[in-house]
Amino acid sequence: MKVDKPKLVIVGNGMVGHHFVEQLCEQQLNRHYDVTVFGSESLPAYDRVQLSKYFESSSADSLMLATETDYAAQGVGLQLGQQVSNIDQHNKQLTVNGETVFYDTLVLATGSFPFVPPIKGNDRRDCLVYRTIDDLEAIEQAATTAKSGVVIGGGLLGLEAANALSALGLDTHVVEFAPQLMSVQLNDRGGELLKQKIEALGLGVHLSKATQEIIDGERAQHRLNFSDGSFLETDMIVFSAGIRPQDALARECGISIGERGGIVIDDCCLTSAKDVYAIGECALWQQQIFGLVAPGYQMAKVAVSQIAKQLLDNSLVSPATEALRFTGADMSTKLKLLGVDVASIGESRGFEHAQYVELSDVQAGVYKKLWLDETGEYLRGAVLVGNVDDYSHLLSQYLSGEALEDPAVTLLMVDDSAPLVLKDNAIVCSCHQVTKADIVEQVIAGKHQLAEIKSCTKAASGCGGCAAVVQQIIDETMQAQGLETESGICCHFDYDRQALFHLCQVENISDFEQLYQLHAKDASKLALGCDICKPVAASIFATLENEYVLNEKHVALQDSNDAYLGNLQKDGSYSVVPRVAGGEITPDKLIAMGQIAKRYDLYTKITGGQRIDMFGAALSDLPAIWSELIAEGFETGHAYGKSLRTVKSCVGNTWCRYGVQDSLGLAIALENRYKGLRSPHKIKFAVSGCTRECAEAQSKDIGVIATEKGWNLFVCGNGGMRPRHGDLFATDLSTEQLVSYIDRILMFYTKTAARLQRTSVWLESLVGGLEYLQSVIVDDSLGLGAELESQMSKIVASYQCEWKTSLQDDVFLQRFNEFINPNDAPLRDETQYQYQRAQKFPMSSEVQTFGAVTHGLSKTGDIAITQLDEEEVLV
Amino acid sequence: MNWITICDEQALPAKRGIAAWVAGKAVAVFHLGDAGIYAIDNIDPATGVSVLSRGLLCEFDNELYVASPLHKQHYSLTTGRCLENEALSIDIYEIKRQSGKILARLPA
Ligand SMILES: Cc1cc2nc3c(=O)[nH]c(=O)nc-3n(C[C@H](O)[C@H](O)[C@H](O)COP(=O)(O)OP(=O)(O)OC[C@H]3O[C@@H](n4cnc5c(N)ncnc54)[C@H](O)[C@@H]3O)c2cc1C
Ligand code: SF4
Ligand code: FES
Repeated sequence: MKVDKPKLVIVGNGMVGHHFVEQLCEQQLNRHYDVTVFGSESLPAYDRVQLSKYFESSSADSLMLATETDYAAQGVGLQLGQQVSNIDQHNKQLTVNGETVFYDTLVLATGSFPFVPPIKGNDRRDCLVYRTIDDLEAIEQAATTAKSGVVIGGGLLGLEAANALSALGLDTHVVEFAPQLMSVQLNDRGGELLKQKIEALGLGVHLSKATQEIIDGERAQHRLNFSDGSFLETDMIVFSAGIRPQDALARECGISIGERGGIVIDDCCLTSAKDVYAIGECALWQQQIFGLVAPGYQMAKVAVSQIAKQLLDNSLVSPATEALRFTGADMSTKLKLLGVDVASIGESRGFEHAQYVELSDVQAGVYKKLWLDETGEYLRGAVLVGNVDDYSHLLSQYLSGEALEDPAVTLLMVDDSAPLVLKDNAIVCSCHQVTKADIVEQVIAGKHQLAEIKSCTKAASGCGGCAAVVQQIIDETMQAQGLETESGICCHFDYDRQALFHLCQVENISDFEQLYQLHAKDASKLALGCDICKPVAASIFATLENEYVLNEKHVALQDSNDAYLGNLQKDGSYSVVPRVAGGEITPDKLIAMGQIAKRYDLYTKITGGQRIDMFGAALSDLPAIWSELIAEGFETGHAYGKSLRTVKSCVGNTWCRYGVQDSLGLAIALENRYKGLRSPHKIKFAVSGCTRECAEAQSKDIGVIATEKGWNLFVCGNGGMRPRHGDLFATDLSTEQLVSYIDRILMFYTKTAARLQRTSVWLESLVGGLEYLQSVIVDDSLGLGAELESQMSKIVASYQCEWKTSLQDDVFLQRFNEFINPNDAPLRDETQYQYQRAQKFPMSSEVQTFGAVTHGLSKTGDIAITQLDEEEVLV
Repeated sequence: MNWITICDEQALPAKRGIAAWVAGKAVAVFHLGDAGIYAIDNIDPATGVSVLSRGLLCEFDNELYVASPLHKQHYSLTTGRCLENEALSIDIYEIKRQSGKILARLPA
C-alpha cells in the first residue's frame, strides 16, 4: 500500500523562506515530505539585502537566489504570484485563490511590509515604497520624469533609498521625524557626523520634521507641509518609515500575535498553533522582531532541525537527536551608506549605568563610541562612523563575552599594522554564523582559495563584508602550516607579478639579465629563467617602455606567439589577424583581404570579436602575407599578444533607430587608443549604442553602454570559461571622463594584476572589490591618478605596428626561414591539408559536418549553421 | 652516421632556437654562448608537430630544457627526457665546431 507523504507547506518565498527550503533539501527532507511553497511576488526568491543593486543594471538577474527550475529539480512545488488568504488551524487547511490546500506542517515566512504613515495625501501619484523589485521598477519609472525626490524616514533603509534616488539623478532630500539620522543604531553625535557627511554629498537633510499632509505643489508635483509651518516641494516621494511584520494571515486565524505585531514563536520557532512554525521578519521572539537576514536564516535552520527531529521521533528507528533552538541573534551591522562607513555593535545607543569611551575626530570625520558595562571591564556596544576598520576586532571582542585585557580607550586607536588576532570561536561571518575555527578546518583540508572557502563554509557569501578577514585567516593558516601563500611566480623568483613590476619600475630595470642577477632566488651565469618568468618580464618591460617587442634584447623572452607575431596553431602553422577597429571595414579592404587569403590558401573565419582570422599560414609565408596586408592599409591585430584584442560594437545611432550615441565611432576611437597595450592577460572591450546592449558589453573587461546623457561604464566582465557580468562602475560619463577612467583602470590593472589574471578575477581578488577600485580611480584615493594617465599616454604615443617595423628589419626576417640551412631542406609538404566545406583544414583534424543537425533541415540549412555558430563550436 | 655541416656558427641566434635539416630530419639547434650549443629532434613527441625550435629555453636545477610552444612540456637538452611525462623523450644530437662551422650527428 502506498502511503502518502506528509504535506509541508511554506507561505512566503522571500530570503528566509528560500533559505528554509535550501536547508530542508540539504538534509534531504524533501524526500520525506510533499513540499509546496506559495509566494505572492511574481519572481522566485531574490537577494533583498542587495536590492539597490537593481539600479545598476535595471535588471533583477544578478539578484536571483534561485530559479523555478532549481525548485523543480528538487521536487519542491513553487507557486508564484499566489497569495495565501486564509488559514484554518483546526482543520489544517489553507485557502489560496479560492482553493483549499491541506497541510500537515505549515511554515510562515511572510516577512514584513513597509509602514506608510497615515498622512493625508500619502496615496497620491508617485508616492512609493522600497521593498520589492516591483517597487524599484515603479521608482525607476517615476524618476524618468521627476527632477526631485524626497525620502520620508532617515533610518538605514531610508538612506539607502536616498542613495538610489540621488544616483538616478534626482535632487534628493531626506525628511526625518526624529532629531537625528539612523536613530535605531547611532547615538546623537554619530548621527550628526553622518548628517554632515551626507550634506556634503549634496543631499538635503531635514530633521525633526513631522509631515502633516501632502498636497499639490507649485513648482513640483507635491508639497509636503510640516507641523512647524515649513514645507518642501518634490516630484516623487519614497516612504521608508520602518517596517511592520506581515502577520495578518496568522492574526485572522487566531494565532498569538504580539502587542505591537509579530507572530509569537518559542525557541523551536513554533507558533501557538499546532504544527505551525514562523520564521524570519514576521516572527516575534521574546518580544523582539529581527529586521536582518542573518537571524532569519538561523530561525530557518532551527525550524528544519525541529521538523527533522519530529520525523525521526515518529519513525522510532533511531533515538531522538537534540534539535537546534533559537537563542536570539546579534544585530550588529556594518555598512556603507551614501559612501559613508557606519557600523553599530550590540547596545550601540548605551544603557543605564553604562561606562563609555569616546573619540570624535572632526578633522578626519571619524566618530567612535564604545559602551562598557558598569564595571568598565566588558564591551557591550559600539558605534563607528567614518572609519569602521576596527569593526571585526570590536565585534569579536564583544561576542567573546570576555573581559578586556587593556584599558578600553586603547580600543579606540587600534594599530592598523598589528594583525588582527581572532579567537577560534570568534564569529567571522555574521551573515552565515561561520567561526574562525570553521574556516581554519577547511584550509587545513586543502581549500586555499577564497572562492572555495565561500562555497564550502558560506562565509563571505552574504553581505561580503567579512571577505578581507576570511582571506587573512586563509593566509595565516597556510603560513602556520608552512605553506607558501602564492607569491613567487615560478621557481626562479620569489616575487609575484605585481612586485616584479614595482621592482622594474623603481630600479629602472629593462632587461631580463639584469632583473635575474638582481632579484632571482639562485644565481646562475646563464640567467635563462623559464617559460613563466621570461614572458612575464617581457610583458612588464612592454608596459613600462612600450619598446618594439622583438628588439634583440627582448626576443628570447617572448612566447612563440609573440616571437613570431602570429598565433601558433595545432599543426605548427600560424593564424594571421589584422586589426578591424570596431568591426568596421570597407568593401575594398574586404576584397583585398579575400584575395590575399586566396593567394596564400588560408582558411578564413569571422570571429566573435568582429574581425577575420586567417588560418594555416606557414611560418615562412608570414612576412609576405603581412607586407601585402600592410600595403592594403591593414595593421597588426595583436591577436598573438596578451594585449587589447578588439572593441566590439553595434552600429549605434548612425544607423540603428534605437541608438542614442555613436557607439561605433567610440569603439573605433577606443580600439585605436589602446591597441598594442601589453597586459597580464588579453583584454576585450565592447560598446553598445543603447540599453538593448547588442554588443554584449557587460561580458567584456571594459563595457560601455550609451545613455541619453553620456556613457555608462561596466568593468571586469568576462565571457569564456568563467562568465562574469561586468560591474557598473560609473554612469552618464562624458567621453573625456570615460577615457580618463579607462586609462586609469587599465594601467592600474596592468600594474597590480597577477600573471595571467583576467580583470574579472583581479577585481574579485582586490580587497574591497568594486568600491575599492572606484575609490582608487574616481576619488584617486591612492593619489595615483595622474601617474596612471601619463603612463598610458606614453604608451599611446609610442604605438607602432609591430609587423610594419619588423618588415624593415633583416635580422628579424631571417627568423622566418623555416630552416637555417634551407638549401638542404625539402620543399614544403602540401599534403598535410585536407579540404572540407570548400576550405582547408589540417590533415590531422576530424572535420565534422554534423549530419544529424542539418538532416531534415536541408532547405533551411543556414539556420542550423547559425545555431552551431552561436554555440561557438569553433571558438 | 657522419658529421653533417649545418651552418656558420655566427648565423646561430643567441639564447633561442632555430631549426636545421640534418640527414632527412628536422633538428632544433640552441646556442647558449659559453654554456654550449645543443641540438635535439625538432618534433614535439606529444603532438608529432615540428616546433621545438620555437620553444622557450629554461633552466631548472642546473639542467637545460626547452618548453614546447604547443602544450608546454619541457624536454631536457642533455638527456632528451620529458619533465612532465616519463613516457616521452626525444633524440639528442652531438654537435661540434669546426673552423667556424657547426656540425651535427646522431650518436651511434
Ligand atoms: C533595501 C533593503 C536593504 C536591506 N539591507 C539589509 C542588510 O544590509 N542586512 C540585512 O541583514 N538585512 C537587510 N535588509 C532586510 C532583509 O532583506 C530582510 O531581513 C529579509 O529579506 C527578511 O526575509 P523574510 O523572508 O523574512 O522576508 P521577505 O524577504 O520580506 O519575504 C517574505 C515574502 O513572503 C511573501 N508573502 C507575504 N505574505 C504572503 C502570503 N499571504 N502568501 C504568499 N506569500 C506571502 C512576500 O511577498 C515576500 O516575498 C534589507 C531590506 C531592504 C528592503
Ligand atoms: S544596442 Fe541599441 S543602438 Fe546598438 S544596435 Fe542594439 S538597439 Fe541599436
Ligand atoms: S558577514 Fe556578511 S557575508 Fe560574511
